[in-house]
Amino acid sequence: MSNPTYQVLWPLARIQIEEKSPVKGLPDLSGKTIAELWDYIFRGDIAYEIFRKKLQERFPGVRFVPFAKFGNIHGPKQREILERLPQMLRDEGVDAVITGIGA
Amino acid sequence: MLRASELAESIGIPSVTMLGSGFLKQAELILRGMGKAMPIAAYPGVPMVDSEATFRQKVEEQMLPAIIEGLARDKLKPLAPRIVEPEPGSVVFEGTLDEVEQHFHDQLWSDGLPVIPPTRERVDAFLACTDRQADEVIAVLPQESRAADILSIAVNGVMAGCRPEYMPLLIAVVELMAEPQFRVEDAGSTPSIEPLIIVSGPIIGDLDLNSGQGVMKIGRQANSSIGRFLRLYLRNICGYRIPPGDGDKGSIGFTFNVALAENEPWARDIGWPTFGEEMGFAKADSVVSIQSVVSFTSPTYTSGADAESHARMFVEAMGPAFRHWCYSGVKRGLWNPLFVIGPSIAKTIASQWTKDQLRDYLWRNMTMPADKMEYMAMQAGAETMDFHELVKEGLIPADYIASDDPKREVRMIVKPEHIGIVVAGDPGRNQSRGYMSNHIQAPRTSRRIHLPARWPQIMAGVAGISKARGR
Repeated sequence: MSNPTYQVLWPLARIQIEEKSPVKGLPDLSGKTIAELWDYIFRGDIAYEIFRKKLQERFPGVRFVPFAKFGNIHGPKQREILERLPQMLRDEGVDAVITGIGA
Repeated sequence: MLRASELAESIGIPSVTMLGSGFLKQAELILRGMGKAMPIAAYPGVPMVDSEATFRQKVEEQMLPAIIEGLARDKLKPLAPRIVEPEPGSVVFEGTLDEVEQHFHDQLWSDGLPVIPPTRERVDAFLACTDRQADEVIAVLPQESRAADILSIAVNGVMAGCRPEYMPLLIAVVELMAEPQFRVEDAGSTPSIEPLIIVSGPIIGDLDLNSGQGVMKIGRQANSSIGRFLRLYLRNICGYRIPPGDGDKGSIGFTFNVALAENEPWARDIGWPTFGEEMGFAKADSVVSIQSVVSFTSPTYTSGADAESHARMFVEAMGPAFRHWCYSGVKRGLWNPLFVIGPSIAKTIASQWTKDQLRDYLWRNMTMPADKMEYMAMQAGAETMDFHELVKEGLIPADYIASDDPKREVRMIVKPEHIGIVVAGDPGRNQSRGYMSNHIQAPRTSRRIHLPARWPQIMAGVAGISKARGR
């Protein structure tokens, strides 16, 4: 009995994204402003409390924009918040962002 | 998380994203899809099963150094190099049926079940059932940023065991998935949503969908293969694969849902609007709807000749099944319970109540203590349920804070109009079932199915095939 063969087509689709270069880093956070972006879950409030304390001890003048300023970045108003996020970061003079927590 | 970080990076602000260590592989895939290397600070293990002391220790000793290093960017892990992929529509393999199956399994292109080999001839038969061009792109879908084009729908439709004439419906399904409110970017989250397709209108008969006994069981080609298609498309085009793929983080999960069709003649006969009509469409419209499903209730048997005796049992039996997870919807102001009601039960209820009266009863009577809802939220992820804040934000009505008694009863369903009702199942038995959605992920949305001008000819051909098969 013959065993037929099949020529099959690729089942995926073209990836349509351009690679972007990484953003330049901040070796010294002294005097910088850090934004806290939180999804209001997984004890992020405790984590940010620790970061604030420890980073202020190590980097003089570092300042934080608290997560409450932005609201829940993964909640019911996620889209509105993310839409205005770039402008909010600019308005607050933010130099770096800590985002969390995915788990 | 990574999307918020990416937004900051898009205006030149460096970021670090905190993730549980179990999510690193998924993060790698998402970063690859974004086309951008960004640093991650990983929490070792699961934050919700560590004591607060251990949590604090891990954050300080392991995450804090990763945050500082990540913002400095001195050890940023580059993206994995992109492999050169085939051109869409190209032949990628030739072999026997066994060899094709093995190749598709090895490439993670199947769902673990055998697939129909997507040969050019079969794919062309699908494309012949639409007037859309094969290279038309509906949207670029996360998380792999692939172009959801008509060709990919045809190929995956073939693989899932669909018939060519399902193609207009399959296209409408992908169009719904591409709409912003579907939130396809969240389709790999841990609760593990399985989108449920609900079909309305004349196409139910055209495609021979089952709406009767065993409606949600695998067994009828259209219901089974259309449901399978959606899951296969989420795997292949979006990249939501369980290990070794790792893009789908559903913790336990369950299998795909078959497509649900309503027994529309019965619904009309008892004087209720059909599900499709309630979604805003005309009787003559063929419509596809999608909503997420995370769980379903036990088979719910109800009896009696009055409407309330059935509705009361829905509350008694289905309410507890929704009790644990409904907080996630209340907290976001939206979740969509779906009641699939057996025809004989629907007939009894419809003799006394409209669909809206049934909705109102379920909404008013499915309640639970406020403090219990808060407790459920705390279990999932240390989430708070501040009812006052939710009312202030306009997400829930003011009656959630009618008193400050922690034991006060609060509604499990935010608004009656969030409830969906479909008449389907065995007319010869008194059984119904409830389905629970995942809050704002894939809320119930509908779309008219665009049928090609030559649909009557396509259907005439199908009728000929069915006749030859003796159906």
